Amino acid sequence: MSDRAPEYRPSEYRAASAHILLNTPGVRSSVGSATRDFDAKRAKAYEEVESDLWRDWASAVKANVLSRLDEYLVQAEESLRANGTKVHWASSADDVYQVLRSIVEENGVQTVVKSKSMLSEELEVNHHLETLGVRSIETDLGEYIIQLLDEPPSHIVGPAIHKSLEDCRVLFHEQLGTPVDADPDELASAARNALREDFLSADLGISGGNFLAADTGTVALIENEGNIRLTTSVPRIHVALVGIEKVVPRLVDLAGFLQLTSRAATGQPIGLFVSLIQGPRKSEEPDGPEEVHVVFVDNGRSALYEDDAASEALGCVRCGACLNICPVYRQTGGHAYGWTYPGPIGAIISPGLLGLDKAMPLPHASSLCGACEDVCPVRIPIPELLVHWREKAVSEGQISKGERFGMRMYADIAERPLGYSMAASALRRVPWRAAGTALPVLNGWLQEREIPEPSSKSFRKLWREGIE
Amino acid sequence: MSAREAILDALRRAREQREAVEHPGHFGGWRPDPSPPALDGFASMFTQAGGEVVHFATVAQRREWLRVFLLDYDSISMGAGVPSDLEGLGGPPRVALGKEHTASVGISRARAAVAETGSLLMDARDGRRAQLLPPVLVVLVEADSVYSALADALEAVGPDMSAALGMHSGPSKSADIGQVMVKGVHGPGRVIALVA
Repeated sequence: MSDRAPEYRPSEYRAASAHILLNTPGVRSSVGSATRDFDAKRAKAYEEVESDLWRDWASAVKANVLSRLDEYLVQAEESLRANGTKVHWASSADDVYQVLRSIVEENGVQTVVKSKSMLSEELEVNHHLETLGVRSIETDLGEYIIQLLDEPPSHIVGPAIHKSLEDCRVLFHEQLGTPVDADPDELASAARNALREDFLSADLGISGGNFLAADTGTVALIENEGNIRLTTSVPRIHVALVGIEKVVPRLVDLAGFLQLTSRAATGQPIGLFVSLIQGPRKSEEPDGPEEVHVVFVDNGRSALYEDDAASEALGCVRCGACLNICPVYRQTGGHAYGWTYPGPIGAIISPGLLGLDKAMPLPHASSLCGACEDVCPVRIPIPELLVHWREKAVSEGQISKGERFGMRMYADIAERPLGYSMAASALRRVPWRAAGTALPVLNGWLQEREIPEPSSKSFRKLWREGIE
Repeated sequence: MSAREAILDALRRAREQREAVEHPGHFGGWRPDPSPPALDGFASMFTQAGGEVVHFATVAQRREWLRVFLLDYDSISMGAGVPSDLEGLGGPPRVALGKEHTASVGISRARAAVAETGSLLMDARDGRRAQLLPPVLVVLVEADSVYSALADALEAVGPDMSAALGMHSGPSKSADIGQVMVKGVHGPGRVIALVA
């Protein structure tokens, strides 16, 4: 496709945002309407329950997990092995590739069906499988659409929300031969038929994992289409890629997390399909995979864990609620952020997983309005952590020359009482409206707004004279 | 050092100085309104998600309903856990194991149901393909196997888990194409719970 979205790096955030807004205005309207819809459903779903209590509980469980993460992982490993599941540990993407390569080679795997997994996006699993000569097919409808377009997902839950129905009609017409005016049911049916063949012929299914219960060794996955259940049930081998932060202590804890995550993500009481996977098919079961592998993936998570404050971000359940409510994300969608995790949560985990130098200026992609924290199901203090990364960037000298110059100028003035009072007095005398209307952008902004007149006396002077 | 040791070492080192945080205990499913009786709650939630629920006073009535229902279909994929008295039901032919995708209707049996979420708990011992591949799924639910809360259901099944437990809370859906909801994307587009 000629209109393939360019791929950006996080460092290009500002230019990427401008490019998206100027050249693909449809993205802003598609993302805006989808996120407002998601958020309205989330708000209603929170109101139906005592959501403050639910979120307090979930936040406390996550705090407990993060305070004993190593112990829960070891327990989960033991439980999984007892179920007959093969457990692998991977420090990096390369470690994951090695696991996949040996499974592919030992079993002569030619076709892989994949269910949506942000971790697999982060690790670029599809690209790696391609280099092994394996055909890897995304089976979530949204992921399937963006795979046909050769684009990365733009939202954690709705990977193709930046595409309109019309975009999909054109794409499916070109690639699957559906009529140009096909309705959504026809389009979905065409995708279903194409993918059904792949489910039945694939040798290997690859999934992520929303949660991993340590006591029973259960990988939990939430979805609406049924493609995850098929990916983990039909092929002979199933591999689940699970981030090390996904462990929860007990199977019964899933009762809270499955419901809360679904309500936060799409406003549903629970995803239409949940898979609770313990291991390979048992002898008395008619079907199911003969081999199940679970890969515990670090890839920067333990480094993020070492930063005491920032490690709270590891409690994230990837519901996307903070993206949906974020006034900044709504303007551009996810591609501007330049990496797997966009929006407010992306701005606080990307610096930890990628390194702050590669993730700047993402912690600035926020007005710090705090809406994200208000909706976060596990109460991650996102604005606080955005400031944490901004402070870290300053202390490590990772700020622009202009910003450093401006701050030094301000410090020079503010640290000297005489300088400060002279500067303040000068600012009170600036003809703000005239100055503003002479400038681009500000001029337009001022057309509908009044600038308040500055007081003729400084606060200190008023204080001395006695304020009423 | 293996990846396992490297990861665990890093995590242990990092938390040495941190205080342990207690687990807060059971999830309470807190709600402003009192919950309805389990069976009513399940029917209401499952229906809201697009599923269908039919109640029967007796198992014999359910069997008769099913006999008539199946006349409209040309092949059945029968779950392994379906009561054997349905074997003599007549009707369209059963497809062989491994051919579930060719069946026009699947029949399976729920291990339990949950009112809080409107979910059917589908056990791998019943056969996963029969639960997933046919476009229409009929699920037999025993009236006394409906739990009010998901936590109670998980606690009950926890000690005896099969390789996979699926929770089905309605027909397969997606809004990934232009945010328009479509049914029956990969899993069954029609799900009918027969409670007796």
